[in-house]
Amino acid sequence: MSTVQPHVPDVSIEDRLYTVKYRDAGESHLGIKNADVCTDCTTNECEQVCPAAVWTVEEGSNGVPSIAYENCLECGTCRFGCPSDNVEWTYPKTGGGVVFKQG
Amino acid sequence: MSADGAESGELKQPTLQSETPDYNDAYDAIVVGAGLAGTAAALTMAREGLDVLLLERGPAPGTKNVFGGVLYTPTIRELVDIDDAPMERYIAEKRFSMLTSDGDETAVSIRPGAWHDEPHNDSYTVLRRRFDEWFAKQAVEAGATLVTETTVTGVLRDGQTIVGVETDRPNGELRAPVVVLAEGANSLVSEAADLKERPDREDVAVSVKEVFKLDRETIDDRFRLDGDAGAAYHYFGEGAVGQAVGGGFVYTNKRTISVGIAYRIEDAAQGQTPEETLDAFESHPAVAPLIRGARRTEYAAHVIPEGGAKAMPDLVHDGAVVVGDAAGLVLNSGVHLEGTNMAVESGYHAGKAIAAALEDDRSDESALVAYPRDLEQSFVVENLRHYDWFQGTIADDRQFLFEDLPRALADAETEYFKMDRTSKDEHTDAARDRLLEAAGGWFGAAKRAWRFRRMLS
Repeated sequence: MSTVQPHVPDVSIEDRLYTVKYRDAGESHLGIKNADVCTDCTTNECEQVCPAAVWTVEEGSNGVPSIAYENCLECGTCRFGCPSDNVEWTYPKTGGGVVFKQG
Repeated sequence: MSADGAESGELKQPTLQSETPDYNDAYDAIVVGAGLAGTAAALTMAREGLDVLLLERGPAPGTKNVFGGVLYTPTIRELVDIDDAPMERYIAEKRFSMLTSDGDETAVSIRPGAWHDEPHNDSYTVLRRRFDEWFAKQAVEAGATLVTETTVTGVLRDGQTIVGVETDRPNGELRAPVVVLAEGANSLVSEAADLKERPDREDVAVSVKEVFKLDRETIDDRFRLDGDAGAAYHYFGEGAVGQAVGGGFVYTNKRTISVGIAYRIEDAAQGQTPEETLDAFESHPAVAPLIRGARRTEYAAHVIPEGGAKAMPDLVHDGAVVVGDAAGLVLNSGVHLEGTNMAVESGYHAGKAIAAALEDDRSDESALVAYPRDLEQSFVVENLRHYDWFQGTIADDRQFLFEDLPRALADAETEYFKMDRTSKDEHTDAARDRLLEAAGGWFGAAKRAWRFRRMLS
């Protein structure tokens, strides 16, 4: 046992995403296959698993998440995270999307 | 085009505009993805005299690639001279730490003197953007044609046979006798073409990583390193990734360190978000001092296929092969975390098999079967098979492995080394009792030893 106080890093998801270089492809490469599935969903696992705050289920949205595709790191976690396989996932067109400097 | 690339020393980006001449069957093979597996395949085929087209969706090879941090080079070394490769540091130390959420750390550190000598156990940290671009350049110099900013959106078929790919370029259909699918863990094309099934959620991990900038001297001091020596630290236990099945890592590069976590998406979906888990890991008293004062330079994330041999799809089809992460070739045995070596090995065997098949003017499944056969006989499939039991077993025993054991170890060592006026004998007994209690007594300890015996066999 110890008395160490956990120190939470002073960093937000915005700070983190600010370090990432993007080329906006101009249109979303992510989508929802069937909005009714989202309306019936109570777990919002897309929002839980996404490391880049792409998926947000807002109040009054009837459970359908908004998609901030320009944050996307193209990790693919949401594809597997949605238990209903309701995420429409494509690669951004012609070199668009995230451009890692280090990887 | 490849000759120009070699002369200028730069990667050319041949254009596939609508006015370009017909490229159909201008190439012997099309490789989808210029990561390690795709480039190894392209390089091998180009050396065999084939005309190879290597397609990459990013603006340059490596711009879409993310990995934990160690490149294993035994096969790359066979393919190319890596003396000029943009390596960061060689691995001089491996360290395995168990962390509790109370701030305890119990670590084992391995620093064999031999690792300081070439070839450094074939283990190096690299930054993928730099390495992958360099590696693809070797393929171009061998004669392959690299086209970037081109996303493959599907395969072309003639009956059941795959005869080319569809890209997002204008008039972007390209035909070739063989297609190599090296598209990585998110294998959209292979899945859409029914060459593999979407992996189950419990077989896929999410990883998030940050690269922190520090000056070289600070890294050398903090990690006890000299020259090009580097360190690979692996962390397990509740202090690393909470209740999830997975772990954390810290790798040293030249002037940066890579810090991240990887754990099952299943656990993230049940409420343990990647960002909070990363925050907790970076705040742990064992980790926070390593990154103190460092500047964040890049945040990245990717999925990792961890289904092992049992989740491997069919590797050959009429006119196509699947390699690397797309084929699920990643080994996580707890202490062995490998994938880069398996990607290169699979690309190499696939390239060899394709060259032999095309020699006989064939590209059907049975003509390409040397690829899965050779991979089966290599370390790749053998190692995957050997550890196929591992993921399920740790998931079943997670409470013990990730929570009870790290805590019991911390308590036992605190007890064993306790400074007071009680005898060493009493402290030793108490420490042993604490460990036995966590393991479920002698019987429980024996049962667990049996369950995990294959770690050492």
